[in-house]
Amino acid sequence: MNRYSIWVMEFAHVPDYHLSGLIYGAHNQGYRRLPYCYVVIKGEGQVAMVDVGYNYKAYGEVLANMYGVRNWHPPREVLAEAGLKPEDITSIFITHAHFDHMGNIEDFPNATFYLQERELSKWVWAMSLERRFRWLMLGIDPGDILRAVDLARQGRLVCVNGDREGVLPGIDLHAAFDTHTWGSMWVTVSNGGSGNAWVFCGDLAYTMENLRGDDLNDPHYIPVGLATGSQVNLIMASEAMLKAAGGDVSHVIPPHEDRLKDMFPSRLTSANLRITEVALARGQASLVR
Amino acid sequence: MLDEATTIYTLESRKCFEDLRRVAAQIAGVLVLAEAGGKSATPDHPMLKAAAQLHREAVDQVRSRQPPVAARAHHEFLLRAADSLAAALAAALGLQLGSAAAVSTAASSRPLQTAAILPPVREAYEYLQRASNVLPGFPMVAFEQACCAGHVHA
Repeated sequence: MNRYSIWVMEFAHVPDYHLSGLIYGAHNQGYRRLPYCYVVIKGEGQVAMVDVGYNYKAYGEVLANMYGVRNWHPPREVLAEAGLKPEDITSIFITHAHFDHMGNIEDFPNATFYLQERELSKWVWAMSLERRFRWLMLGIDPGDILRAVDLARQGRLVCVNGDREGVLPGIDLHAAFDTHTWGSMWVTVSNGGSGNAWVFCGDLAYTMENLRGDDLNDPHYIPVGLATGSQVNLIMASEAMLKAAGGDVSHVIPPHEDRLKDMFPSRLTSANLRITEVALARGQASLVR
Repeated sequence: MLDEATTIYTLESRKCFEDLRRVAAQIAGVLVLAEAGGKSATPDHPMLKAAAQLHREAVDQVRSRQPPVAARAHHEFLLRAADSLAAALAAALGLQLGSAAAVSTAASSRPLQTAAILPPVREAYEYLQRASNVLPGFPMVAFEQACCAGHVHA
């Protein structure tokens, strides 16, 4: 029996993201729908999330008009499909500090946020460099840094140094330094019983091809298209995640993977947002059936 | 569609907007370190000195601009952001506003007073956001370099 219910909840999408951004070296191979999602983990008297998306007030118009991001909806609306409010969220694990994963801190007033200290300290280092190094600040919003200051002042920011076991019952945090970002983090949920471990990988993998290649009979790792650190480290992180998932690649969940709907029960909401049900705890009604 | 004068202003002002945004981020970065208990987060932190230098350069550039009518609001927001950042830097470095004096040894070892520094930084950020909203080409996040927007420049 599952300890936690787990849902991947879409809040926006890009209709046609170039495949070479998702899969290293996949140039001129077309486009794929890229959903923006966060993960909701409910059980043991806790409601946790992996990442929080971004704030439309700050970014939405630019993203919609210039970059084709469609159908953004706020957490209050998205979480309502699970009978939850943003105020119900107790813990949030930020996989990395890009605006589309960390850009909505202020909507969760009661949550404690967990972030790798290295992600913060390397941000600060990058900001100290001269203008010609500005690529190193890609995807980072100064406003998020200010909001992180607020979180810290409120005692709601936990800077994690490396791996941390048991941050919640059965939930562990794992560092993947110098990969997609300097201080990326992935999350494991041991959901009761053997063979029931799940891995939530942030942007360490965008698609299943990152974790198994394109030949199911001869799997291999292919890194994502963007590494602030190194592709080698991304591949080693993939190995660590797959091991943590007991070698079952279907238990490593890339939230940007549009085909999760083919792997798990799911449905579209009236707002045309997909809810994917990865696990259901005892007593929890399904959100998708 | 922007007129020619506003287009020229936009192109010429982009760097000082980015520099002011960067100054705000640099100060905020040191505040994060301070709140996270970092011992290096004192007034003589190298990033505060870098921020002060960049601020001086950005202020010179902003003040030298002669904005056309359509860009006056933008220019005003940049000036206000620059003033707020000056206040934040003065609080961080332990200086009187407008003072060019070096940080005293006594001041340099004390912890940063986040409560005094944070409000003007937040105010500056809000002015920069307003500037970002009134003219195109002044994003608060460099989306063109972000992984989420790679499909546009691919």
